[in-house]
Amino acid sequence: MTGLTRTTTLKNRPMRTEVVIKFTGYVLLFNALFLLIAFFISLFHGETSTIPLLFSGLICIIFGAFPFIFVEDQDNVSFSEGLAIVVGGWVITCIIGMLPYIMWGGEFSLVNAWFESVSGFTTTGSSILNNIEALPKGLLFWRSATHWIGGIGIVMFVLLILPQSTSSRLTLLNAEMSELSKLNFRYKARKIIHVLIIVYVGLTAVQTLTLWALGMSLFDAINHSFATIATGGFSTKNSSVAFFKSPSIEIVIMIFMVLSGMHFGLLYGTITGRAENIFKSSVAKSFIVILLLGILLVSAKLYFSGYYNIWDSLRFGSFQVISLGTTTGFATADSNPWPAFTHIILIYFTIQCAMVGSTSGGLKFDRVYLFFRSLRKQLKLIQHPRAVVVVKINNRVISEQLEALTMVFVVLYIFTFFVTTLVLTSLDVDLYTAFSASIATIGNVGPGFGDVSSLANFSTLPSTGKFVLTLNMLLGRLEIFNIIALLMVRKGNF
Amino acid sequence: MKKSLKLKILSGFLLLVALLFVAGTESIIEFNKLSNSFTELIEDNYKTIEASRTMLEALEREDSGILLIMLGKTAKGQSIILSADSSFMAAFRTAKNNITESGEDIRIVRIEESYHTFKQKWQERFFLKSSAYDDIEFYSNDVHRTFLEVKHAVNELMSLNQNSMHSEAVILKDKSHRAIMPGIVAIVGALVFSLLLSFFISKYYISPINQIIQAIKTFHPRDKVLRTTIKSEDDLKQLEVEVNNLIDRLNKNNYPQK
Repeated sequence: MTGLTRTTTLKNRPMRTEVVIKFTGYVLLFNALFLLIAFFISLFHGETSTIPLLFSGLICIIFGAFPFIFVEDQDNVSFSEGLAIVVGGWVITCIIGMLPYIMWGGEFSLVNAWFESVSGFTTTGSSILNNIEALPKGLLFWRSATHWIGGIGIVMFVLLILPQSTSSRLTLLNAEMSELSKLNFRYKARKIIHVLIIVYVGLTAVQTLTLWALGMSLFDAINHSFATIATGGFSTKNSSVAFFKSPSIEIVIMIFMVLSGMHFGLLYGTITGRAENIFKSSVAKSFIVILLLGILLVSAKLYFSGYYNIWDSLRFGSFQVISLGTTTGFATADSNPWPAFTHIILIYFTIQCAMVGSTSGGLKFDRVYLFFRSLRKQLKLIQHPRAVVVVKINNRVISEQLEALTMVFVVLYIFTFFVTTLVLTSLDVDLYTAFSASIATIGNVGPGFGDVSSLANFSTLPSTGKFVLTLNMLLGRLEIFNIIALLMVRKGNF
Repeated sequence: MKKSLKLKILSGFLLLVALLFVAGTESIIEFNKLSNSFTELIEDNYKTIEASRTMLEALEREDSGILLIMLGKTAKGQSIILSADSSFMAAFRTAKNNITESGEDIRIVRIEESYHTFKQKWQERFFLKSSAYDDIEFYSNDVHRTFLEVKHAVNELMSLNQNSMHSEAVILKDKSHRAIMPGIVAIVGALVFSLLLSFFISKYYISPINQIIQAIKTFHPRDKVLRTTIKSEDDLKQLEVEVNNLIDRLNKNNYPQK
């Protein structure tokens, strides 16, 4: 069969539900692995979360293994099936992820457990917990593990172990990664997956060892590394990173937050001495420059407004800018009482987010970069209507289709958080809290301002509001278009 | 690997049974823990709280007895005091034999010591000596003061156990939640599982059977094989193969064709 014929056949073929269920089974089995690790931690410490974690793990195994009895090995996953696997995998994972919470009880009602699970997997890092330290260690590990599983994309780990053909792997990879993020990968599908996993696991291991060496307990070091590399933000402490009162720990976390906010392909290129590296990428350089500018402005304002001395202004200002600018969401200080000027800058970083190809969610810096480059192109075309103007990123011409897609993405993104803000205000949430909670959740950043500030939590929001925000998180993580594309596929418009 | 229909359906049901078994066992374990905790709660705290109440009541009766003696009703007063003392000591022994909370032993010693002093006072004054029963100064400065000390010590013991009981009640609430949840999750899980199982049975058994029926209905003697799209490697595929073999044998034996 020729490539063209096969592509046409795949496009015309109706979606095979059983294939989607089987691939989702792989995702569940991967989750079961972490649930069982959390169970052993709980068992070792003799905690109350032992049985909830064990039962959740068994449910994962039963539902994950069940499709294998019936569904034969399938090949040539179509794009619509790929999308359904990715979206379905995320939703099922979030449902399974809430089971240990809801079975354990405490502060976890049905909505709260769902919120914590979605926030974990989408690496948002917003929490409903008032007392994080009351959680058993097993549950704390599971909470951080949800970040780590979701950080690189749930399907990515599955792709590594998937005994399927290259075409299936490529289809699933296309469904999980955006077009823009693939720009810096000049590898085949399997190599891309390997690069992502190597960088991800490598960064996690190095950060864990560094934090451990700096005096953090091994348990806290692992949990904080999971949350940092996944750009999540769940801490094991009520006062987040501020608990450790250690500038050296804060510096290490800041470095790894920045690294996790960069394109993993560029990081790999930098380490292995390839042409595609951070120093040659105009986007990466711009990202760093804007982060530095943000740090400078926030720190200067904090110092000149008399909030802190010069050292503390730089310390707290830089941590907060990097934390929000990379969509991590850790905190070393309460930014709520800071001047409005700093809030505006931090809100900008909450909207901008980090680079594509990283573990961060939301709009992504590359789209903002491309947006302004396209804007400049349009202005040039107004001046010289007959001129041939193209947008280039890293000396590569960006197609008009990708430009248009990015523009639509930006508009949809803004529209979505506007709608969420509207819904929250209709539930009597104050405007500042509603607005910042909306952008913090769609950007998978975590903390906002007002009632949901860096050292506060989302517990005071109404249940409907919490649920709406979880939809925001999923939309932000799945980059909206995947969901829209899936809906179009279901309606036969794709 | 070829899996038979029986094995596939059996595996599906076995998983369902495993899910329900685990949930059931877990619920039984948690309910058992809950029951034990409830018994412990009654044993540990409620028993001492009741004993403390009895001690307080006995103390009040002893105080009334003393006042009656001071009013000149000696026989009645003494009888009340002795009866109340007996009640107090019985309740005190219950509390002393039921030390379960940290700090409870200190409070028991305090009660023992203060009651001993109180008892010494009224024994010496109202049982061993026969004069000056109406000495109000002695009552207010000596007897009543020690009476208040005992009462305070008993109240401390009671509030320690009440606070502990309250904390235990919160833990019990969590335990009951953990006992109920596996059942609820298992019910929802079993429902979803049943839906999945029925989907697979429909997809992999009903649909192929219908295909074979349809193919047999539309089979033309000129055809060499049944036209189905069964891909699974199970008994239904085997059935299709066997039907095709039958057709083949019939064709080879030159059975009369229409």
